Amino acid sequence: MAFPLYAGVYLQHTATIILTYLCLALSWDMLVRTGQISFGVAGFFGIGAYSAALTALNLKLDPLLSIAVGGLAAMAAALVLGLTTLQLRGMYFAITTLALTEIFRVIVRNLPGLTGGPEGTVLPSAIFDGDPTKTYWLLLAIALVTIAISEAFQRTRVYFAITSIRHDEMVARSSGLDIFKYAVFVFAVTSAIQGIVGASFAQQYAFVSPEGTFDIDFTLLPIAMCLLGGMHSTLGPIIGALVLGSVAEYLKLQLPYGHLLVYGAVITLVILLMPQGVAGKMKEQFVREQ
Amino acid sequence: MSALPRSRRYQIAVPLALFIVVLAWWHPYAVIEGVQRAGLYAAIALPMALILGIVGIVNLAHGDFLMLGAYLAYWFAVHTQGDPLVAILPAALGLFLLGAVVYRATIKHVIGSSELSQLLLTFGLAIVLQQTATLLWTSQPVSINTEYTSTSATIGSLTFGTYGFVYVAAAVIEFAGLTFFLQRTRLGQAASASGQNPVGARIVGINVDRVYLIVFSISLALAGAVGVLFLTRHAVFPLVGGGLTFKSFCLAAMAGLGNLRGILWCSLILGLAESLVSTSKEYAGWADLIFFVAIVAVILVQSHRRQVT
Amino acid sequence: MLAVRGIDNYYGKLHVLRALTIEVGRESVGLFGPNGAGKTTLINAIMGLARPARGEIVFEGRSLLGLAPHQIAHLGIALVPQERELFPLMAVKGNLESGAAHIPAAREKMKSTMEFVFELFPILKQRLGQPAGTLSGGEQRMLAIGRALMANPKLIILDEPSLGLQPSVVTHLFGTLKEIKQKASILLAEQNVRQSLKAIDRGYVLENGEIALEGDAASLAGNEHVKRSYLGL
Ligand SMILES: Nc1ncnc2c1ncn2[C@@H]1O[C@H](COP(=O)(O)OP(=O)(O)O)[C@@H](O)[C@H]1O
Ligand SMILES: [Mg+2]
Repeated sequence: MAFPLYAGVYLQHTATIILTYLCLALSWDMLVRTGQISFGVAGFFGIGAYSAALTALNLKLDPLLSIAVGGLAAMAAALVLGLTTLQLRGMYFAITTLALTEIFRVIVRNLPGLTGGPEGTVLPSAIFDGDPTKTYWLLLAIALVTIAISEAFQRTRVYFAITSIRHDEMVARSSGLDIFKYAVFVFAVTSAIQGIVGASFAQQYAFVSPEGTFDIDFTLLPIAMCLLGGMHSTLGPIIGALVLGSVAEYLKLQLPYGHLLVYGAVITLVILLMPQGVAGKMKEQFVREQ
Repeated sequence: MSALPRSRRYQIAVPLALFIVVLAWWHPYAVIEGVQRAGLYAAIALPMALILGIVGIVNLAHGDFLMLGAYLAYWFAVHTQGDPLVAILPAALGLFLLGAVVYRATIKHVIGSSELSQLLLTFGLAIVLQQTATLLWTSQPVSINTEYTSTSATIGSLTFGTYGFVYVAAAVIEFAGLTFFLQRTRLGQAASASGQNPVGARIVGINVDRVYLIVFSISLALAGAVGVLFLTRHAVFPLVGGGLTFKSFCLAAMAGLGNLRGILWCSLILGLAESLVSTSKEYAGWADLIFFVAIVAVILVQSHRRQVT
Repeated sequence: MLAVRGIDNYYGKLHVLRALTIEVGRESVGLFGPNGAGKTTLINAIMGLARPARGEIVFEGRSLLGLAPHQIAHLGIALVPQERELFPLMAVKGNLESGAAHIPAAREKMKSTMEFVFELFPILKQRLGQPAGTLSGGEQRMLAIGRALMANPKLIILDEPSLGLQPSVVTHLFGTLKEIKQKASILLAEQNVRQSLKAIDRGYVLENGEIALEGDAASLAGNEHVKRSYLGL
């Protein structure tokens, strides 16, 4: 993981982007494991980004501290939303999050005094004065924490709670688990991660805008990555992020107007042909060979 | 397809009528605009509610099929120099056939699997449609100007555009047609039965898979036709459908999944609310939040109701 | 009429039916066994709702394997499912009509069949406009039987019709089986063996997915195992 340090700015930049998407993908998957699906990743990403940028600019907050604020802001938004919408069947929550990104965008656009309105806001300087190596270390650290949280969820009481939510709501209920509480908890944690990643992104580019920050890329790519790699595990989203993340920049250059088509097609095809993803497929192969 | 009991219908209808009368007196333009919007929203939401009620699937690509219908009409109008409305039947037919293909190739395979797979599949389809449209027609909005869309009427000191009422007509025709189909035709009754209990439907000899295919295709055909109407009054661009999908779902959820009549009422309420906000000078930009607030309220009410029972 | 020969059914790794063979002629046949014996699975296999891994199922010389449930319904088999599977928002009338509407041969006789159903279950006539979901358990069971009869079937399969019903209703239900038998063959899955033995000609005892016993009603009633395990004697 340390190799990009010696490999020039372009590779470091690509690696940073991959790590950004890796965190988003993994956090999205953690929520999927509770049986809830969110189409609002870009929304929490954007909340984090705006909160960090605005606190750094207006309160002269240290960039790293402002990133933490970004995470907290996203978490607070998720708590409010989760407490109101996570009680019903997944479909209601999913569709609410589908509109979320657009809603946040509308709010940002309509508060020009605070957010800079449609034009966005520019920060005086990027984090670490734009040093790509330090930025890479920052994202690597965030990614490692995200991986640790994902593994913790897989190994503790939370895992038991969320898998029983997924497999059988009745069993979970009768065993006295407050599944609603767990779902809200996981939603808050994963949204905080998305907010932190968004905040780092804003600090890295020293710029936030309604269109660029609440970009559907930040919802679409993580989902495609998880599906390709395989949902319901830590490994799957990582594999997916490495594969799709390394071609994402290239695709964007080659197909500036249609690169998202690839991700839509990936999502559709994986659901139809290979619902367990690459990681699941490999596991299956492995079990068969044993 | 459940309808509200008569008493509850009046509980909603009477206050709503009073509200509209008061509003019309205070702010007539908002009412006219609101009713026209309500027509548009109902026309768009009805076909989505049809799939939701019978096939039991949320079609997250619903608005994007409408977008496709609108582009078909645009393409037709540009190439023939003709009236885009002439494209209604071809667009409906084209989307009906596309619906059959999409159902066979994709939707059919997630019937009976988890809701998660269904949501992800139709989300993927939505992205594919949006991005294909971007590749074909770029992200620039297109629109068609025809003379009849600017017809207006004057009542007293009030002058307003009348063409927007075409959506109200469309919604009423759609509702009447769907109600007739579901209650009076054998295929429609097979569809109702499949929606209420697919296992029960199979054992009484209904080919549920074929019913689903036809219902899905009908829904897409209607979305395509409404898309053509949409083009005559709105700018169309590849991402225009996303918001319409969301609004359709809000209406379907608010009306109670599968309740077509309720969609008319709920469209009226939200259409009026939205136009009231958007015709006010200071708060116009916030009108987009109305549906979001509505869906959150619906979810709160429903989870409360579930806890009570 | 119906022949099931050597079928095996699985749910995942769980082996539910083992080389199972039964036959139903122009008669009424009982299928007895405790909870979890595999009665519903066998019925689902006949109806095309579950797929056997091995064996064959033949109805009037035609193999049913590979046919969809609606095709099997069209051949003349009607099912009264354990869970009833009615259309809850549809009125009683609509539910009854749905039994005949999708089967061309039955559609023509819809009126007269409905009269026959009302003779068996007069209560349904009084509830004609009421949504099925609001009926009592017993009424729902009658409606499910009525809906199956509306198809004018050659074979009617009833999956535990007495489940959850009051004894008086059960007696009435089983009483109607004699009249139903005038019109169709019957396959009756039941745990209430005592009452069922009065209504059937012949029966099978199904235990752990295998036929443990078979014989006519009288010989089953006299069998020691049946007496001990099913009749509580
Ligand atoms: N959908 C299912 N999935 C897994 N196992 C099942 C399913 N349905 C039934 N079984 C199992 O198959 C066995 C036979 O069940 P069933 O045919 O319903 O028995 P019966 O109708 O005689 O009570 C039981 O052990 C039951 O637990
Ligand atoms: Mg059973």
